[in-house]
This record gives sequence, structure tokens and C-alpha cells, in this order.
Amino acid sequence: MDKPTSHQPQPYMNPYLAGVGLGLVLLTAFVTMGRGLGGSSAFATAAGALIVNLAPETAKTNAYLATFAEGNPFKDWLVFEVLGVFLGGLFSGLLANRATTTIERGPRASVTRRLVLAFVGGGLMALGAKLASGCTSGQALTGGSLLNAGSWLFMIAMFGGAYGAAWFLRRQWI
Amino acid sequence: MNAPFFKFGLFGDNASLLVAFLIGIGFGFFLERAGFGSGKKLAAQFYFRDLAVFKVMFTAIVTAMLGVFWGSRLGFMDLSQVYLVPTHLTPQLVGGVLLGIGFVIGGYCPGTSVVAAATGRLDAWVYMGGMFAGMLAVSFMMPELAGFLALGDRGQTTLATLWNVPYGVLVIAVVLIAVVGFVGAEWLEVKFGGVERKAQPLLGAVGLRGSRRLMLGFAALGLTAALAGSPYVGSTATFNTDELTLDVVRANDHLTAEQLADRLIAAVDVPRIVDLRDPAAFARSHLPGATNVPMAGLGREPWRADETVLLYSGADPHAEQAWMLLKARKFPRVFTLQGGIEAWNEQVLFPRIAEADSNAARKKIAVAHAFGGTPRTDGAAPAALEAAPMPVAPPPVVVPATGDNAPRKKKKEGC
Repeated sequence: MDKPTSHQPQPYMNPYLAGVGLGLVLLTAFVTMGRGLGGSSAFATAAGALIVNLAPETAKTNAYLATFAEGNPFKDWLVFEVLGVFLGGLFSGLLANRATTTIERGPRASVTRRLVLAFVGGGLMALGAKLASGCTSGQALTGGSLLNAGSWLFMIAMFGGAYGAAWFLRRQWI
Repeated sequence: MNAPFFKFGLFGDNASLLVAFLIGIGFGFFLERAGFGSGKKLAAQFYFRDLAVFKVMFTAIVTAMLGVFWGSRLGFMDLSQVYLVPTHLTPQLVGGVLLGIGFVIGGYCPGTSVVAAATGRLDAWVYMGGMFAGMLAVSFMMPELAGFLALGDRGQTTLATLWNVPYGVLVIAVVLIAVVGFVGAEWLEVKFGGVERKAQPLLGAVGLRGSRRLMLGFAALGLTAALAGSPYVGSTATFNTDELTLDVVRANDHLTAEQLADRLIAAVDVPRIVDLRDPAAFARSHLPGATNVPMAGLGREPWRADETVLLYSGADPHAEQAWMLLKARKFPRVFTLQGGIEAWNEQVLFPRIAEADSNAARKKIAVAHAFGGTPRTDGAAPAALEAAPMPVAPPPVVVPATGDNAPRKKKKEGC
């Protein structure tokens, strides 16, 4: 039997073990900070800060954008957390030989189709995350473990939306 | 009870950003370990071929849920201090559905896209570009969306309060849903994903090992949680209302600044002086010999029943509130400084002197000098005030800071 060479990507971690690891990270956030994890908020902060810098007059008329004009918007807990996520992901990927330049797509999907859909999906997620005040990290994971009522509704809605839409997008993935 | 550490003032805003970065590294590391840097693997969840998303997510939820429950139940942390995103049923339902559709279209969710981008997935970079563009657009729409975002408002609420079900019962329910779900997920993977049954950690394993033991541990902690009562453990105390009323009526509850100054100079009956303001205000100025116990740390501080404690604060009523709390905990010799640090500044350090020749005035001047202050003469002679000899020792108390009670910028704690 061939031994895997050092350049082959290693298999993923047992999902239950990875889940315990992730759960302990989340628990650490609860114990140290009294708050959970996040993902989408850093993008909202970056977008808000960009608008405030490019069009300060427009931003003043918008109560939501005005919040990004006070102080340094990047001195924000979730911005620093997401920077850490990037570094932690890179570190794990390098350790396991999984960091390679590639485009994730199913066997029947073209590169163009995949990239267009990635952009559209990202845009839709932005709207969804703003409406739900959170995403998979801030609502499903964090709120889920705190038995937050809205987070459980969100989680059911999210899985419902995803499974409902999956059939129409099967050409992209399978 | 001293967690969450940040909420109890154990570290400040700047340190919290370092904590954020370190926690983020852990978050990103385990997301990548689980395979969530791959859009294909994530999307396979929705075709029943690879249910790692469900398994990892629910294992994490159960782990953190049990940790929070038992950490709080055993008194290590205060669950009421962990931030809950307020529930708004309608926007969360609609937002959740949109997010789910976006997940299948885009292949990632916001957190996993960052991990995928870090490990070279070009589609994840495009996805992040799409999300950024979406955020730009939504930013302009937010004022118009405000009405919709407020629909179905239930405030900060858990399922336990919404349904009036004991918290621990929900804990075991979530554990059971998760464990049954894991077995079902493994079965689906065998059926649709071409995974060998033998390779499945729960279905295929022989005997009680590895992942099966973990599930048994979850079940044990969940079952005991169901019987353990509420995780919201505050400290309760009672006090005799008549006794406290009499203390107040007889002025047995406070010292004036001048009384305190006399005791300090005479070195008789010197109380332990406790400054209840935040560490920044304490660093700017405080009473001689004071120790800093910010309000949030009151319950943690080891008080002794045999010591006399003098509490003071700024313009807020914290000293009087802390007095009540300590009295309720049966510490008999607790006093407040009437008028707080401002009274100390006004009456002891920088007293107004009307007639410089009287005995009272001479005493005031001597007392002020003893603590490194400067007496003020009334309005007419500002020059005399400036010409007054500077104290030798650096003044321990300077002008009361103005920013202490300014409302802080509201912190975003959501996702």
C-alpha cells in the first residue's frame, strides 16, 4: 500500500472531535468576553467604514452609517476576530497541505458559472445576515448554544432555505 | 463567580481585541480542520452526501451549551452576563431563509469563506467580494429596513423563557436531537454519499469507543442538567429594612469628607477606603490610601466582617448602592463618603476660605495642605490662589475628571 507523501492533503479531522474543538473555542469566548463568535459583521463594518470615508455627507443622513463615523470603526471585536479566523484557517490548511490555489466546483459546473454564483451568493448572504442580525456563526452557533429563541428559528429557516434551494443548484455542485 | 472576565472588568477594551484575535485563530483553525475551507464539502451537506456541517455545528453547540450550563450552575460564571442577540421573529425567519439560499448558491457562509479564502480558494475570494458589495448596498437600505427589522420583537429571550420550560430540560432535548441527528446523518451518508458503514464513527464502530463515548458523555451531562435546576445562579441576600432605615436616619451610614480627613490625620479609626469607579478614573485621581474595587467586582472582593469600610464613587450613586449590597451581606461597619470624591475635593483639598483669620479657616488650610491640596479664597482673589505655595508632595487628587460618566458608545455584540 502506498504511503501518502508529505505533499498530499491530509484527511479532515473526525467531525465530532472538530466540533468539540469549535465548541471549546466558543465556550472560551463566553467565559472571557461574555459574547459569542461572528463572521458577517466584519464585512458590514468594512463596508460601512468605506462609505463613511468616500461619501461622508451621504453617511451623515443615514442613521445606520453614522455609527461608523464615530471613532475608529476597525477597532472592533469582530474585525479582530475575523482577522484571527483568516490566520487560524491558513495555519491549519498549511499544516495539512490543504492550502492550494483552486476553485471549488462540481464536475458539471464551469468556472464562470461558479464564480458568478459565488458572487451572487455572497451578496444574498449579506442581505440575509443583516436582516437576521447574524449569520451561521453569530446566530446558529452562538445563539444555538445559548438556547437563544431567535437563533433557533434562524437555524431552522436557514437549513430550510438551503435544502429548498439545493435541487435548483445541483448542476453547480454534483 | 467571576466569568465572563471582560464583563467583570478583569481586562479592558484593548486587551479584548487581542482576545478576539486569539479566539478567531482557534475558530479558523477548527473550521479548516473540519473541512469547512472547501465549498464542495460544505455544499455536499445539502445533497445528503456529507453531513459534516451538521455534525460539527451541533457537536460545537452541544459542547458550548453544556459548558455554559455547568459553568453557570456550579457558580463559575454568570450566565445573565452573556450577551443574547435580541429575538425579532420575522426578520430572523426571512433572513435565515435568504442566508440558506445564499449558502447553496455561494457555497460558503461568512465565517467559512474567510477560511476558504485563506487556504487559496479563489471562489471564496469572489464570494467575499459579493458579500462586501452586498453589505455596501444593504448599508444604504438600513434606515428603510428599520421598521421590518423590528417585527416580531421578543427582546433578549431564550427558548426556556419563551416557552416557560426549565432550561435543563431544553439542554437534554438539544443533546438528544443532536445525538439522534448524528446517527441519522451517518445513515444518510452511507445511503447517498457512498460512505462505508464501517468507516462511520458512530454506526460502524465496534464497542464503546471514541465518538460513541463522547455521545455518552453528552447524554450524561445533559441528563444531569435536566435535574440540576436553573443555570441562572445569582447570589441572594436579605436585610432588615428597619435596621437599615435607622442607620440612614441616624446618619450611621456615611462620613463627611471632613470627618474622614480628621480620622486620617489623627490616624484613629481609619477605614479601609474603597474607590468604586472604573480603573481609568481611579488612575487619574483617588483618595489617599484608597483601593480600587470597580462596581462589577463588588461580589468578588473578599470583604471582612470586622473591618470598617468607606465606599466612595463619582457623581453616580454607586457608593450608596454598594452600601446596600454589603449591608445585605451582613457587613456591619460599612459607610459611604457623603458627596463622593467631589466632596473630598471641594471640602478637604480645595476648600473655599472666606475669613482667613478664623480658627476654622486655619484648620481648613492646614488640612488641605496635609493632603497636598490648595485652599481657595472667594472669587475676588484668583491671583492669591495662584500665588499660594505649591504643596511639596505631588497632589494625589486633581480635578475630578469630566469623562467618567459620559455615556459610552454602544458596543455591537452581534454577528
